[in-house]
Amino acid sequence: MVSPGVLPRLKCFVFMIAVTIVVGVAFIYSGFYPVGADDRHTPVTYWALDTLRERSVSRAAQSIEVPVELNTSTRLLRGGSDYQAMCVSCHLAPDMSESDFTKGLNPAPPNLTQHQGDENLESRARSQFWVIKHGIKASGMPAWGPGHDDERIWNIVAFLQRLPELSPEQYQILTARGSANSNNH
Amino acid sequence: MKKNTLIFMTILSSLLAVSAQAHDPEKHMKGAETPNCASMKNMEHSKMDRSDPVMQAMMEKCMDKMHQDEAQALESDKMHHQPKNSETKNPTSHKH
Repeated sequence: MVSPGVLPRLKCFVFMIAVTIVVGVAFIYSGFYPVGADDRHTPVTYWALDTLRERSVSRAAQSIEVPVELNTSTRLLRGGSDYQAMCVSCHLAPDMSESDFTKGLNPAPPNLTQHQGDENLESRARSQFWVIKHGIKASGMPAWGPGHDDERIWNIVAFLQRLPELSPEQYQILTARGSANSNNH
Repeated sequence: MKKNTLIFMTILSSLLAVSAQAHDPEKHMKGAETPNCASMKNMEHSKMDRSDPVMQAMMEKCMDKMHQDEAQALESDKMHHQPKNSETKNPTSHKH
Protein backbone atom coordinates (compact mmCIF):
# COMPACT_ATOMS: atom_id res chain seq x y z
CA MET A 1 0.00 0.00 0.00
CA VAL A 2 2.75 2.44 1.00
CA SER A 3 4.93 3.55 -1.91
CA PRO A 4 8.49 2.17 -1.72
CA GLY A 5 10.28 5.52 -1.13
CA VAL A 6 8.14 6.69 1.85
CA LEU A 7 9.27 4.23 4.51
CA PRO A 8 13.02 5.03 4.32
CA ARG A 9 12.16 8.75 4.35
CA LEU A 10 9.95 8.32 7.41
CA LYS A 11 12.72 6.38 9.17
CA CYS A 12 15.19 9.14 8.30
CA PHE A 13 12.79 11.79 9.64
CA VAL A 14 12.28 9.94 12.94
CA PHE A 15 16.05 9.44 13.22
CA MET A 16 16.66 13.18 12.72
CA ILE A 17 14.13 14.06 15.44
CA ALA A 18 15.72 11.57 17.82
CA VAL A 19 19.20 13.01 17.12
CA THR A 20 17.89 16.56 17.67
CA ILE A 21 16.35 15.57 21.02
CA VAL A 22 19.54 13.77 22.14
CA VAL A 23 21.75 16.73 21.10
CA GLY A 24 19.37 19.17 22.83
CA VAL A 25 19.34 17.20 26.08
CA ALA A 26 23.14 16.77 25.90
CA PHE A 27 23.50 20.55 25.47
CA ILE A 28 21.24 21.21 28.50
CA TYR A 29 23.31 18.84 30.65
CA SER A 30 26.64 20.14 29.31
CA GLY A 31 26.29 23.44 31.20
CA PHE A 32 27.58 25.40 28.21
CA TYR A 33 24.56 27.69 27.95
CA PRO A 34 25.41 31.06 29.61
CA VAL A 35 22.64 31.86 32.11
CA GLY A 36 24.20 35.04 33.56
CA ALA A 37 21.82 37.99 33.38
CA ASP A 38 24.71 40.21 32.26
CA ASP A 39 25.18 38.04 29.19
CA ARG A 40 22.83 39.57 26.59
CA HIS A 41 20.50 37.50 24.43
CA THR A 42 20.94 37.45 20.67
CA PRO A 43 18.44 39.62 18.70
CA VAL A 44 16.67 36.45 17.58
CA THR A 45 16.24 35.26 21.18
CA TYR A 46 14.95 38.72 22.19
CA TRP A 47 12.47 38.66 19.34
CA ALA A 48 11.31 35.15 20.21
CA LEU A 49 10.90 35.95 23.93
CA ASP A 50 9.18 39.30 23.27
CA THR A 51 6.78 37.84 20.75
CA LEU A 52 6.04 34.82 22.91
CA ARG A 53 5.30 37.05 25.93
CA GLU A 54 3.18 39.60 24.06
CA ARG A 55 1.11 36.99 22.25
CA SER A 56 0.62 34.90 25.38
CA VAL A 57 -0.44 37.84 27.57
CA SER A 58 -2.70 39.22 24.86
CA ARG A 59 -4.47 35.88 24.41
CA ALA A 60 -4.78 35.19 28.14
CA ALA A 61 -6.06 38.70 28.93
CA GLN A 62 -8.60 39.04 26.13
CA SER A 63 -11.61 37.98 28.18
CA ILE A 64 -10.83 40.15 31.24
CA GLU A 65 -13.50 42.74 31.94
CA VAL A 66 -12.14 46.21 32.74
CA PRO A 67 -14.05 48.04 35.52
CA VAL A 68 -16.08 50.99 34.23
CA GLU A 69 -14.82 53.37 36.91
CA LEU A 70 -11.06 53.01 36.58
CA ASN A 71 -9.95 56.64 36.48
CA THR A 72 -10.99 57.80 39.96
CA SER A 73 -9.10 59.65 42.69
CA THR A 74 -9.66 56.83 45.19
CA ARG A 75 -8.14 54.24 42.87
CA LEU A 76 -5.22 56.54 42.03
CA LEU A 77 -4.39 57.04 45.71
CA ARG A 78 -4.66 53.36 46.60
CA GLY A 79 -2.87 52.19 43.47
CA GLY A 80 -0.20 54.86 43.82
CA SER A 81 0.90 53.82 47.27
CA ASP A 82 1.01 50.16 46.20
CA TYR A 83 3.04 51.06 43.10
CA GLN A 84 5.55 52.87 45.31
CA ALA A 85 5.79 49.87 47.63
CA MET A 86 5.81 47.08 45.05
CA CYS A 87 6.82 48.31 41.59
CA VAL A 88 8.96 51.45 41.62
CA SER A 89 12.33 49.76 42.03
CA CYS A 90 11.92 48.01 38.67
CA HIS A 91 9.47 50.20 36.75
CA LEU A 92 10.75 53.60 37.96
CA ALA A 93 9.20 56.94 38.96
CA PRO A 94 9.00 60.24 37.01
CA ASP A 95 12.31 61.53 38.40
CA MET A 96 14.22 58.25 37.87
CA SER A 97 15.98 57.12 34.73
CA GLU A 98 17.38 53.84 36.04
CA SER A 99 17.81 51.70 39.13
CA ASP A 100 19.95 48.74 40.13
CA PHE A 101 17.11 46.48 38.99
CA THR A 102 16.74 48.08 35.54
CA LYS A 103 20.50 47.83 35.06
CA GLY A 104 20.73 44.24 36.27
CA LEU A 105 17.60 42.49 35.01
CA ASN A 106 17.66 40.83 31.61
CA PRO A 107 15.38 41.56 29.79
CA ALA A 108 15.20 45.01 31.44
CA PRO A 109 11.78 45.76 32.98
CA PRO A 110 9.75 48.34 31.03
CA ASN A 111 9.89 51.96 32.22
CA LEU A 112 6.22 52.53 33.06
CA THR A 113 6.65 56.30 33.42
CA GLN A 114 6.81 56.41 29.63
CA HIS A 115 3.93 55.74 27.24
CA GLN A 116 3.96 52.11 26.13
CA GLY A 117 3.18 51.92 22.40
CA ASP A 118 -0.07 52.97 20.79
CA GLU A 119 -2.18 50.10 22.10
CA ASN A 120 -5.70 51.21 23.13
CA LEU A 121 -6.27 51.95 26.82
CA GLU A 122 -8.68 49.12 27.50
CA SER A 123 -6.49 46.49 25.92
CA ARG A 124 -3.45 47.82 27.80
CA ALA A 125 -5.39 47.81 31.08
CA ARG A 126 -6.35 44.16 30.52
CA SER A 127 -2.75 43.15 29.82
CA GLN A 128 -1.42 45.10 32.80
CA PHE A 129 -3.98 43.51 35.09
CA TRP A 130 -3.08 40.03 33.87
CA VAL A 131 0.68 40.60 34.18
CA ILE A 132 0.39 42.04 37.70
CA LYS A 133 -1.85 39.21 38.82
CA HIS A 134 0.00 36.30 37.20
CA GLY A 135 3.55 37.59 36.73
CA ILE A 136 5.86 36.41 33.94
CA LYS A 137 7.95 33.28 34.17
CA ALA A 138 11.75 33.67 34.41
CA SER A 139 11.60 37.43 33.98
CA GLY A 140 11.75 38.82 37.53
CA MET A 141 8.07 39.85 37.38
CA PRO A 142 6.30 38.14 40.30
CA ALA A 143 2.64 37.13 40.44
CA TRP A 144 0.97 39.51 42.92
CA GLY A 145 -2.34 37.66 42.66
CA PRO A 146 -1.78 35.26 45.57
CA GLY A 147 -1.47 38.08 48.13
CA HIS A 148 -3.62 40.78 46.54
CA ASP A 149 -7.28 40.74 45.52
CA ASP A 150 -8.48 41.83 42.07
CA GLU A 151 -9.74 45.19 43.30
CA ARG A 152 -6.33 46.08 44.64
CA ILE A 153 -4.68 45.07 41.37
CA TRP A 154 -7.16 47.21 39.40
CA ASN A 155 -6.16 50.17 41.59
CA ILE A 156 -2.55 49.70 40.48
CA VAL A 157 -3.71 49.44 36.84
CA ALA A 158 -5.66 52.70 37.30
CA PHE A 159 -2.51 54.37 38.57
CA LEU A 160 -0.44 52.99 35.68
CA GLN A 161 -2.85 54.57 33.18
CA ARG A 162 -1.98 58.03 34.52
CA LEU A 163 1.64 57.49 35.54
CA PRO A 164 3.26 58.69 32.26
CA GLU A 165 1.58 62.10 32.68
CA LEU A 166 2.63 62.70 36.29
CA SER A 167 5.27 65.21 37.35
CA PRO A 168 7.68 64.20 40.15
CA GLU A 169 5.72 66.43 42.57
CA GLN A 170 2.36 64.89 41.64
CA TYR A 171 3.88 61.42 41.88
CA GLN A 172 5.24 62.13 45.37
CA ILE A 173 1.86 63.28 46.68
CA LEU A 174 -0.12 60.44 45.11
CA THR A 175 2.22 57.69 46.23
CA ALA A 176 3.04 58.83 49.77
CA ARG A 177 1.40 56.41 52.15
CA GLY A 178 1.54 58.63 55.20
CA SER A 179 -1.13 61.19 55.97
CA ALA A 180 -0.39 64.88 55.42
CA ASN A 181 -1.43 65.39 59.05
CA SER A 182 1.39 63.20 60.30
CA ASN A 183 3.89 65.68 58.89
CA ASN A 184 5.37 67.42 61.85
CA HIS A 185 7.05 70.25 60.02
CA MET B 1 -7.97 11.16 61.43
CA LYS B 2 -10.61 13.87 61.71
CA LYS B 3 -8.74 15.47 64.58
CA ASN B 4 -5.55 15.61 62.49
CA THR B 5 -7.42 17.20 59.59
CA LEU B 6 -8.89 19.77 61.95
CA ILE B 7 -5.45 20.63 63.37
CA PHE B 8 -4.00 20.87 59.85
CA MET B 9 -6.82 23.16 58.71
CA THR B 10 -6.41 25.38 61.78
CA ILE B 11 -2.66 25.75 61.19
CA LEU B 12 -3.19 26.39 57.48
CA SER B 13 -5.84 29.06 58.07
CA SER B 14 -3.63 30.73 60.69
CA LEU B 15 -0.73 30.81 58.24
CA LEU B 16 -2.98 32.28 55.53
CA ALA B 17 -4.24 34.92 57.93
CA VAL B 18 -0.68 35.90 58.84
CA SER B 19 0.37 36.12 55.17
CA ALA B 20 -2.72 38.22 54.38
CA GLN B 21 -1.80 40.62 57.18
CA ALA B 22 1.67 41.00 55.69
CA HIS B 23 0.07 42.49 52.58
CA ASP B 24 -2.25 44.77 54.49
CA PRO B 25 -1.66 48.40 53.36
CA GLU B 26 -1.93 49.53 57.00
CA LYS B 27 1.27 47.56 57.70
CA HIS B 28 3.18 50.00 55.50
CA MET B 29 1.87 53.08 57.30
CA LYS B 30 4.46 53.04 60.06
CA GLY B 31 7.35 55.29 59.03
CA ALA B 32 5.69 55.95 55.67
CA GLU B 33 6.67 58.97 53.62
CA THR B 34 4.32 61.91 54.04
CA PRO B 35 3.01 63.82 51.01
CA ASN B 36 4.89 67.00 50.20
CA CYS B 37 1.81 69.18 49.95
CA ALA B 38 3.86 72.36 49.92
CA SER B 39 4.81 71.58 46.30
CA MET B 40 1.15 72.08 45.33
CA LYS B 41 1.47 75.76 46.12
CA ASN B 42 4.18 76.12 43.46
CA MET B 43 2.09 74.47 40.76
CA GLU B 44 0.53 76.66 38.11
CA HIS B 45 -3.07 77.02 39.24
CA SER B 46 -4.35 78.01 35.79
CA LYS B 47 -3.28 74.61 34.50
CA MET B 48 -5.01 72.72 37.31
CA ASP B 49 -8.19 70.99 36.26
CA ARG B 50 -10.30 70.29 39.32
CA SER B 51 -12.34 67.67 37.47
CA ASP B 52 -9.19 65.63 36.76
CA PRO B 53 -8.95 62.59 39.08
CA VAL B 54 -5.19 63.24 39.53
CA MET B 55 -5.92 66.72 40.85
CA GLN B 56 -8.81 65.42 42.95
CA ALA B 57 -6.56 62.76 44.45
CA MET B 58 -3.91 65.36 45.31
CA MET B 59 -6.52 67.63 46.87
CA GLU B 60 -7.90 64.69 48.84
CA LYS B 61 -4.44 63.81 50.10
CA CYS B 62 -3.49 67.37 50.97
CA MET B 63 -6.84 68.87 51.97
CA ASP B 64 -6.38 68.32 55.70
CA LYS B 65 -2.83 69.58 55.56
CA MET B 66 -3.86 72.68 53.60
CA HIS B 67 -6.68 73.45 56.04
CA GLN B 68 -4.23 72.97 58.88
CA ASP B 69 -1.75 75.35 57.23
CA GLU B 70 -4.46 77.89 56.52
CA ALA B 71 -5.60 77.75 60.15
CA GLN B 72 -2.01 78.15 61.33
CA ALA B 73 -1.45 81.06 58.95
CA LEU B 74 -4.66 82.69 60.16
CA GLU B 75 -3.62 82.15 63.76
CA SER B 76 -0.16 83.62 63.23
CA ASP B 77 -1.73 86.48 61.29
CA LYS B 78 -3.99 87.19 64.25
CA MET B 79 -1.03 87.05 66.61
CA HIS B 80 0.92 89.37 64.36
CA HIS B 81 -1.86 91.92 64.19
CA GLN B 82 -2.90 91.60 67.81
CA PRO B 83 -3.20 95.11 69.33
CA LYS B 84 -0.76 95.91 72.13
CA ASN B 85 -1.65 96.88 75.75
CA SER B 86 -3.85 99.97 75.43
CA GLU B 87 -5.17 98.87 72.04
CA THR B 88 -6.41 95.60 73.47
CA LYS B 89 -8.95 97.49 75.54
CA ASN B 90 -10.46 99.05 72.46
CA PRO B 91 -10.27 96.72 69.45
CA THR B 92 -12.00 99.23 67.19
CA SER B 93 -9.01 101.55 67.44
CA HIS B 94 -6.74 98.95 65.84
CA LYS B 95 -4.73 100.34 62.94
CA HIS B 96 -2.65 98.50 60.35
